[in-house]
Amino acid sequence: MKRAFIAALGVLLVALALYPITATGYGIRFMLQLFMWVALAQSWNLISGLTGYVSFGHVAFFGTGAYATGILVATHGWHWMPASLMGGVAGAILALIIGYPCLRLKGPYFAISMLGLNEVMRVLVSYFEGLTGGGSGLSLPALHASVPIYYATGLAAVAVTATAFLIITSRFGLRLMTIREDEVAAEAMGIDTARYKLYAFLLSAFVPGVVGGLQARDQGYIEPMAVFPLLTTITMIVMALFGGKGTVWGPALGAVTLFVFQELVWARFLYLHQVLFGAIIIVVVLLMPRGILGILQQRYQLPRTI
Amino acid sequence: MGVIITPAMVGQVVISGLLAGALYSMVALGLALIFGVMRVINVAHGTILMLGAYTTFWWFQLLGINPYLSLLLSMPLMFLLGVFLQRSMVHRVVDAPELSSLLLTFGISIALVNVTQYAFSSDVRSVEFLTGSFLVGPLALSKSRLISFAFAVGLTLFAFWFLQKTKLGKAIRATSQSREVAMVCGVNVQRIHLYAFGMASALAAAGGSLVAVIVAIQPEMGQVYTFKSFLVIVLGGAGNYPGALLGGMLLGLVEQLSSLFLTTQVSEAVAYVLLVLVLLLRPTGLFGGRST
Repeated sequence: MKRAFIAALGVLLVALALYPITATGYGIRFMLQLFMWVALAQSWNLISGLTGYVSFGHVAFFGTGAYATGILVATHGWHWMPASLMGGVAGAILALIIGYPCLRLKGPYFAISMLGLNEVMRVLVSYFEGLTGGGSGLSLPALHASVPIYYATGLAAVAVTATAFLIITSRFGLRLMTIREDEVAAEAMGIDTARYKLYAFLLSAFVPGVVGGLQARDQGYIEPMAVFPLLTTITMIVMALFGGKGTVWGPALGAVTLFVFQELVWARFLYLHQVLFGAIIIVVVLLMPRGILGILQQRYQLPRTI
Repeated sequence: MGVIITPAMVGQVVISGLLAGALYSMVALGLALIFGVMRVINVAHGTILMLGAYTTFWWFQLLGINPYLSLLLSMPLMFLLGVFLQRSMVHRVVDAPELSSLLLTFGISIALVNVTQYAFSSDVRSVEFLTGSFLVGPLALSKSRLISFAFAVGLTLFAFWFLQKTKLGKAIRATSQSREVAMVCGVNVQRIHLYAFGMASALAAAGGSLVAVIVAIQPEMGQVYTFKSFLVIVLGGAGNYPGALLGGMLLGLVEQLSSLFLTTQVSEAVAYVLLVLVLLLRPTGLFGGRST
């Protein structure tokens, strides 16, 4: 079973690596977006799925990474690859600044402070016009690099999934999940909760930073409203929840399912697609809060580290 | 700065802040009620406010009657919507982790906004009823804002009287202090949840109706008010009802004062920086109250 799974995974990765040879422009773009959502849902899962601290402003790291990369590419003439890595670093630095104080907040207060962070970032980016172009946005020099960005985004998605696997199967992951189940008990057992929460938060902020940078390069244009929307945060949360939060494969499964569904079905409902999205959120929260993998775990004997 | 700030300007700003603040207080009191009684953060609060605003818009558009009278329609209507939402969905996430209630109410919110866009289009609309200002010495007081202020203060006082003096109000406060003890004392907690969500929605609707007369409205206007209400209940201390009142006034003042020294965009950020600072330094709110 396990061997078959690994073999299937290998075949899938090879197929995805070879895909650009035959793909159309639309196909590349579709897969690139898909990878982006997998990476974002996985990154949210690292902090919120594992520790239970709901990052309700996760898109702040995405937007920060997009702007860091955009500025390095447009103003300083960097290549997009190191620039998007710096986007990740920018996301992690922001997480360090905000996480150190805010991770002390409990429950809904952390969620609200993250929401506030996202608003602050959007306003600041609009305000520092000299650096960011303000509300009129930032244009990156023209570049056709969809295929390299396809590989880079795919690599980010694979890397964060591998990270999730490594964390969940390690003592570090167990510590994080102990915090989720009972933080006071975790502290009583001698776990330095503040430190581990912060580590998880930094990892989980680095990925959206990189992905934001890659998106900025791919789109060629960024503006504050487009890279800091609450809806993006919600979408990654719903994806992670739909697949099964706190698992290795759940967020990826949720991202693939919902994204494909969105492209195939929602596009036909031009006017009411947000009603459908709202309905999906409501159904997921009320009827399947443990997600697909959570339900399967309950029904069948599946490994905890799925 | 290069800008000379006269005492009249400061007076103007303080008054504008208080006028806006009373409205924030009233709307946030609704959010505080829901949070206090159920520990649910209602992301759809501003959306209900938006529906209240549209009720007023259509009332004035179709009937041509004084828009302030539309409160008589918008408040009961949104009370019923609130009761319906609570009864059909929200009651199932009352004891769940905060992620469930945040997402659920967001789902409700996005669906309602989209239906409104579909039904009424995304056009910006306004109720042209009261324009102009009273001039008092060097100060200009916008008529519509002044009347909204009076309504907001009146309704907030009524809500407080209700919470303080009536049996139902006492049951609501008891439930928010301790659900178990309230239950033991014979309070039907499920019913209290329904009433709390209904009352909260009615307060949001009143806010919407009053806002509609002051500024132009559109289906996505609600989110700003949701965020501002979060701010107010954090400033005032979550679950602390008088705190929500002071928090609203404070938010109005901070917004207006910072807009005197900074651009409007940055004054928005000042409010959020304040939010994070208060959460960290005084998580129980500026005016005391209990921690979670």
